[in-house]
Amino acid sequence: MATFRWPNGWDPLAGFRTMQRELEKLSGRTVGAARGIGGGVYPPVNVLIGLGEIIVECEVAGMNRDELDLSITGETLKITGTKKPATQEPAEGESACRYHRRERGMGDFSRTIVLPEKVDADRISASLETGILTIRLPKFETVAPRHIEVS
Amino acid sequence: MPENKNKVNVNVEPARVSVGEDAYTPLVDIYENADGTTVLVAEVPGAKQESIDIRVDKGVLTLMADGRRPEPDESFSRTYTGFVGGEYFRAFAISDEVDRDAIQASLQDGLLVITLPRAAAAKTRKIEIS
Repeated sequence: MATFRWPNGWDPLAGFRTMQRELEKLSGRTVGAARGIGGGVYPPVNVLIGLGEIIVECEVAGMNRDELDLSITGETLKITGTKKPATQEPAEGESACRYHRRERGMGDFSRTIVLPEKVDADRISASLETGILTIRLPKFETVAPRHIEVS
Repeated sequence: MPENKNKVNVNVEPARVSVGEDAYTPLVDIYENADGTTVLVAEVPGAKQESIDIRVDKGVLTLMADGRRPEPDESFSRTYTGFVGGEYFRAFAISDEVDRDAIQASLQDGLLVITLPRAAAAKTRKIEIS
């Protein structure tokens, strides 16, 4: 939640951060040296609320359309999926691959998001691009703010 | 003079030869196939193919990618933020056995797959006694 980034990559505190890292190196700590994205099999989500629609973004790198399942019941959006290992099961007679490092994780996951208001379930659209699932949930016309002309 | 001030900022900023100070470390899987080919799988969600930069120099493979995405319209408010786009950077020391010229990479669904085949010279060779 406490993630704020300056636009265009400009970071007024970059100098301080370098200093902090150097000091941490001296004291043998490696805190803050590496920032990771993604929580292994538990994918992080973003919820953005606009005037006419709600956007839910979900980071699902390495998963394809068939491995993801979306459902909505009332105001509850559920994202389920399976993160498969990068390698295929070895065929009969083939020797298995040898892992040196395994950070990505695998397995089934399920995330439930309770939306702050009702959405038009018939007009929900979802797209998957560069490992990010974007779900657009349009609000009901009656809920969206409407401009009223003074006559 | 807001314009001038802006200019100073641009000049002060060091040349971006590499990624920023706060780049993400992508999660990777590294495995070796039976034929000796090493495969590196890195998660770079949000990164487009043209933003990916993979270099091999002096036995170090560096991987850079830009996963920054445009900020949403101002009418949107961030109710919950689980991830933000960012740049990715990670470096790996690679074995001398890897055939530098045969390294290949592909990108699909935010997953970058780099294959590092073993050089023919590094493969086990049976030596006949003459």
